[in-house]
Amino acid sequence: MARSFKQLLGDDVKNTRTLLHESIPITGTISSGTYDDNNIKNFSHGMFQNVYDYPYLSSSANHIFDITFGYSSAISASTHTQNSKKLNVYNQMAQTLVGYTTSSAIRTFDSDGDYGGDDSQGRMYECFFLNFSRLLIKDEIKKNTFRLKMYTSGSVNDGGSQASTPTLTELQTLGDYKSATQFRTSPAGDYGLIFTSSADGNNTGSVGLIFYQAGVAVLTSSIFQEQFGTNTTSRHKGYYDGDTTTKGPLGLGLMRGVQAAITSSTIQSMADGFRHTIDSIDFNNTIELNSTIYFCRINHNEFNYSSNPTFTSAGRLVVKNNVTDLPVTYITTVGLYSPDNELLAVAKLSEPIRKDPNTELTLRVRLDY
Amino acid sequence: MAFLDNSGDIILDAVLTDTGRLRLAQGDGSFKITKFALGDDEINYGLYNKNHSSGSAYYDLEILQTPVLEAFTNNTSNLKSKLVTISRTNILYMPSLKLNKTVKYTGISTANGGPGDNQEGKSLTFARYGASQSGANYNSSADVTADRFFIAVDQDTWDAIYQYRTNQSSTNTPFAQSNYRTDGLLQGFNVGSDTAQQWDLIRVDQGIDTTQLPPAVGLDSDLLETAFIIESDYRLGRIKPPDANTPTAVNFIDDDNIATYYLTDNKYVNPAGKAHPAATNTKPEQDKFSGNNPQVFDGPRGTTLHFRVHASQELQQSTYLFTQIGNSQLATATGNICGFPSSGSPNFGDNFVKDKTIYWIDTTVRVVGANTGYRLDIPVRYIKVK
Repeated sequence: MARSFKQLLGDDVKNTRTLLHESIPITGTISSGTYDDNNIKNFSHGMFQNVYDYPYLSSSANHIFDITFGYSSAISASTHTQNSKKLNVYNQMAQTLVGYTTSSAIRTFDSDGDYGGDDSQGRMYECFFLNFSRLLIKDEIKKNTFRLKMYTSGSVNDGGSQASTPTLTELQTLGDYKSATQFRTSPAGDYGLIFTSSADGNNTGSVGLIFYQAGVAVLTSSIFQEQFGTNTTSRHKGYYDGDTTTKGPLGLGLMRGVQAAITSSTIQSMADGFRHTIDSIDFNNTIELNSTIYFCRINHNEFNYSSNPTFTSAGRLVVKNNVTDLPVTYITTVGLYSPDNELLAVAKLSEPIRKDPNTELTLRVRLDY
Repeated sequence: MAFLDNSGDIILDAVLTDTGRLRLAQGDGSFKITKFALGDDEINYGLYNKNHSSGSAYYDLEILQTPVLEAFTNNTSNLKSKLVTISRTNILYMPSLKLNKTVKYTGISTANGGPGDNQEGKSLTFARYGASQSGANYNSSADVTADRFFIAVDQDTWDAIYQYRTNQSSTNTPFAQSNYRTDGLLQGFNVGSDTAQQWDLIRVDQGIDTTQLPPAVGLDSDLLETAFIIESDYRLGRIKPPDANTPTAVNFIDDDNIATYYLTDNKYVNPAGKAHPAATNTKPEQDKFSGNNPQVFDGPRGTTLHFRVHASQELQQSTYLFTQIGNSQLATATGNICGFPSSGSPNFGDNFVKDKTIYWIDTTVRVVGANTGYRLDIPVRYIKVK
């Protein structure tokens, strides 16, 4: 009996899990200058800022991350600019990422990652949040790969380069240096501590947290010293409270310390200032692939004939001169079928493979989920 | 669909088909892969040069250089031709499927060994003869032929095309009863007591298309097709046997509304009790009925498949789908697809087509040999006169 299907047996189907990683480099110029801020999307509510990899009005643009700022109730004051919004942002992020205390109060971010007891060391009351798009992080950020190079002191130009004046600038590379061997868990998954170097032995120098599955970096505002933001003369970036007497629209961009900005700048201005300090961001993402592998075993006496209309001419096989010649076929496609003969998946070979009674093949078809 | 890069290692580009994704989303366990098949859609075996002067290494050089397309996600667009497993290697001739457009039974009486008039239908593509019947009363109608089967979706349509009122008579006269033919017009509706009036059908034959083997040799049992798969658009029609009006049960309907039928019983495959048109290898048909050879294979013949198409309720009772995916024209338009006269027939159209519109949808019905994998696309036209 001729047949065109072959049953897959138990040994022919295998399930596997694979972790794939991609390197994600983000240059500082994307966030601070290349597209003249046309890739920066602000909202009327002013609670966060989107960064795209291309002017966001283009259909080619991809959302890559968000920047926002918030502080805890410990330092809130009704006189602060956007006080409730900064408070809401902080609480929302804290609820999601670090959860609640045993008395159901919203926890405060803690730079040393210790949420036990009444530990008050390392608490971060004023934080910048970098929320990375799922497009970049996929399933999670790979541990010990997150690196954020930024100017934590002084002012910078558009594009993140060091400004000529003032000179109080310091380019630092923040990273989750210890996370390969040391990470913690939270309601939002695993998280690691962010340091300015790998040399810190007791975690006291941690300046933030990186939540791997959530794809969120939380940085304390205290990493910034002296001036914060940019000194560009063409636009108002970073700290700018609208006071045109101290900082005119085309002025020299007088800077204030970040503490002043926290209380008197909008979230949008804080985000503007933050992204102009970014030199680069690098991390590896992780994609968790669950695969089923189908081993399509083709024995020597199988699939040696074809129903291709060109396989015969006037009923006679075109690949044979006489009866004793061996038939030959060429495989280009593998179809995977349901019991009721419905084609559920299809695999194509990049080039035809010759099949004749002298050859046996195993085609390994992997379906990823 | 782009070509796959064939400059380096051999890779497999695997995707779920749209039906696969649908079944996966349904989450009811219907996504279950239990078997595989191999295809060679891109291969033209005519490029196999078994007489290449440089030797056997060059026989398939051109075939191996064939670029391969990326996988289609449409489940019905892949594996048009499958590789076939037959354990022996000494086969020199392979059977194929052919649409049989030669079966004509009218006029072969039971006395002559035929089934008798109106006992078994014709498997002919559409033809309607009017103008060529000069001297008769049908000369205001045009001769029309089309290389496809017409499926009348309701009784009115069938009456309009199949019957014709002479210009001297007020009686509607079927063409066939007056020895003037309308071929390839299938009754795609429940004809009730008129079933015996005309049983046009679609017949597909399996066989070897060669004169080098006589039919008497017969088809080896491992080449004989025992089951057929029919794929057709479920929105438009169903598959029914030649001698009944009840459509057969559908196996499944995919995401594109393509219904699949798996046919093995003798209502469809080598219909029992029918002297014709079941194929015979004992002698060529022309020996038996001169001028009425229903065979399309000169060599050994295998099984035959017989079926009709039943129009869906949507087509029978509405013109909506016709306007969405079909065409239309006035029934009296010059050169209309049914051959209705545009003028000059004073009585014509009083009952049938005057001020009416012809609606039609062209599609195909696909027949696949379940074992041998051979595939045949049969063009059909659903037609409605309203």
